[in-house]
Amino acid sequence: MLTATTPIATHVPHQHHGANAMTLTTVHPAPRLSRDRAHDLATLPSAVRSEWIKLRTLRSTPAVLGLTVAIGLLLSWTIATFVKTDPDTNEVFTVAQAFIFSTWLTTVLAIVMGTLLYTSEVQHGTLAGAVSAQPARWVLVAAKAVVGAGLGLVMGVIGMASGLAGAVLGGLGAGDTSGMAATAAWGLMLVTLAPVFGLGVGLVIRHSAAAASTVLVWALVVENLIKGFGPAKVTRFLPFSAATGLLGIKSAGDSAKTMAVALGRLQDGLLFSGYTLAAVAIGTVSMYRRETN
Amino acid sequence: MINVSTLTKHYGDRVAVDDLTFDVAPGRVTGFVGPNGAGKSTTMRMMVGLTRPDRGDVRYDGVSYARLRRPARVVGSVLDPRSMHPGRTARNHLLAAAALSDIPARRVGEVLGEVGLESAADQRTGGFSLGMRQRLALAGALLGEPQVLLLDEPSNGLDPDGIRWLRNSLSGFAARGGTVFVSSHLIAELAMFAHDLVVVGGGRLIAAEPIDATLARGDSAVVVRTVHTDELARLLDRRGITVEVEADRLVARDTTSAAVSAIAFEHRLQVIDVTERTQSLEEILIDLTGASAEFAAA
Repeated sequence: MLTATTPIATHVPHQHHGANAMTLTTVHPAPRLSRDRAHDLATLPSAVRSEWIKLRTLRSTPAVLGLTVAIGLLLSWTIATFVKTDPDTNEVFTVAQAFIFSTWLTTVLAIVMGTLLYTSEVQHGTLAGAVSAQPARWVLVAAKAVVGAGLGLVMGVIGMASGLAGAVLGGLGAGDTSGMAATAAWGLMLVTLAPVFGLGVGLVIRHSAAAASTVLVWALVVENLIKGFGPAKVTRFLPFSAATGLLGIKSAGDSAKTMAVALGRLQDGLLFSGYTLAAVAIGTVSMYRRETN
Repeated sequence: MINVSTLTKHYGDRVAVDDLTFDVAPGRVTGFVGPNGAGKSTTMRMMVGLTRPDRGDVRYDGVSYARLRRPARVVGSVLDPRSMHPGRTARNHLLAAAALSDIPARRVGEVLGEVGLESAADQRTGGFSLGMRQRLALAGALLGEPQVLLLDEPSNGLDPDGIRWLRNSLSGFAARGGTVFVSSHLIAELAMFAHDLVVVGGGRLIAAEPIDATLARGDSAVVVRTVHTDELARLLDRRGITVEVEADRLVARDTTSAAVSAIAFEHRLQVIDVTERTQSLEEILIDLTGASAEFAAA
């Protein structure tokens, strides 16, 4: 019996004399109290610890951080060395401008990493173990969001640092650095939210390749096409418009018309946060509704 | 004690599990058997909260799985031994699982030892054989020192030595008061260590009983080879024994080989051999579930 008053077993010491002589763990009675919302909340730190172990024990994590550094360095250095001037204004780029350019790509990469936080668990079947160990599925989502945000923050910091280093190595002048701190702060907010947004996308799409390609195609193609044809007053509310707005940069789909009606950074920040919240909320609901494979 | 009560699950128009009710007692190994498509895996998934039943529930000492605090400390389950990230080592796979259920990290080393995977602890699971994955999955189930083990086909991929190890381990776990609920297609293997059987077919419960009761359902007969089939058949029939003639053999039911031999000897009829034929557990289960088998060879 499982009741605390009736122990179900006496302890049998483990024997380690080869596989056939081993005994499985002795059975101990466990507390039987039913879980409630307060208990679920109290389990969040354990879930975060578990997600952190999952993230740090995969080779792909340092590889992605390395890629972030490489993108930052290469993009800034390439702009400093080969592009040099803004094609629209013919002004020479400065470190204060160029350090943030790679953060847009870092954001896209962080979103893809966020999708994988969930989709790789579906792909490898490990989600079933997590869900059976933690019936409060929202706790799993929250833990992934916390760890994803941490990953995004690290990617943002090293991405910007690499961008800065690349711009300096490329020989750009410092320029007006008064707005750098604010740009960096908004950029870090964006890259921190990006994996959480990606997590929401992953929760809905569930398939690694499909989720990653959806993010990439949307960010690189679809949204620019919509910006090209849609009214600027509407397209400024698209998620990657908010992202470029937060970074203070222009994307391929931006024109003088779209820039004229662009939202302020605070509005862009709220907009991207709203997209993130909506994606995670929809994803969490779909996680509860769907079967866990 | 596990109480499965009126468990029902539909997928569209198809009934996967239909009003399933049975109990699984502690201190015993209970086999869960049935043909492919009988609803075993769906039932086991509902038992650990992975699939939501349309009706009914599963309780562990009165508490439904979804309401258990730290379920991994009450129920250890292995439903798919392939469920592990190939890029993660066995140790890290277990460390993540342990952290989720607030289980001390020292348990990871202990369970790796219990399943005989200490030497492979720091290898990535992508290189593991199915047998090693089974052992690692079992280690994961044991992390929380649960009272209940739910295992779906745990001997798949194990070599004969591994199967013997599993049998002894599960028997030992039950002997120490644990509850073991194990599905398997290896009926002969299951017959060696299961105490009880839950038999399902077409999603419905066919039997839930001690394995001895299932064996008692089997047909037994005395097969006699003789050159005097017709004569011996008449003699047996006259004694009220049911007899069938199959070529040069007689198949007599509700009797013993000694009784048949005595009758033949009494009437000086030459008998070539007399054997008692009993149905194996496998044959009995095939008979029990035959009508409900979704897939069968032509």
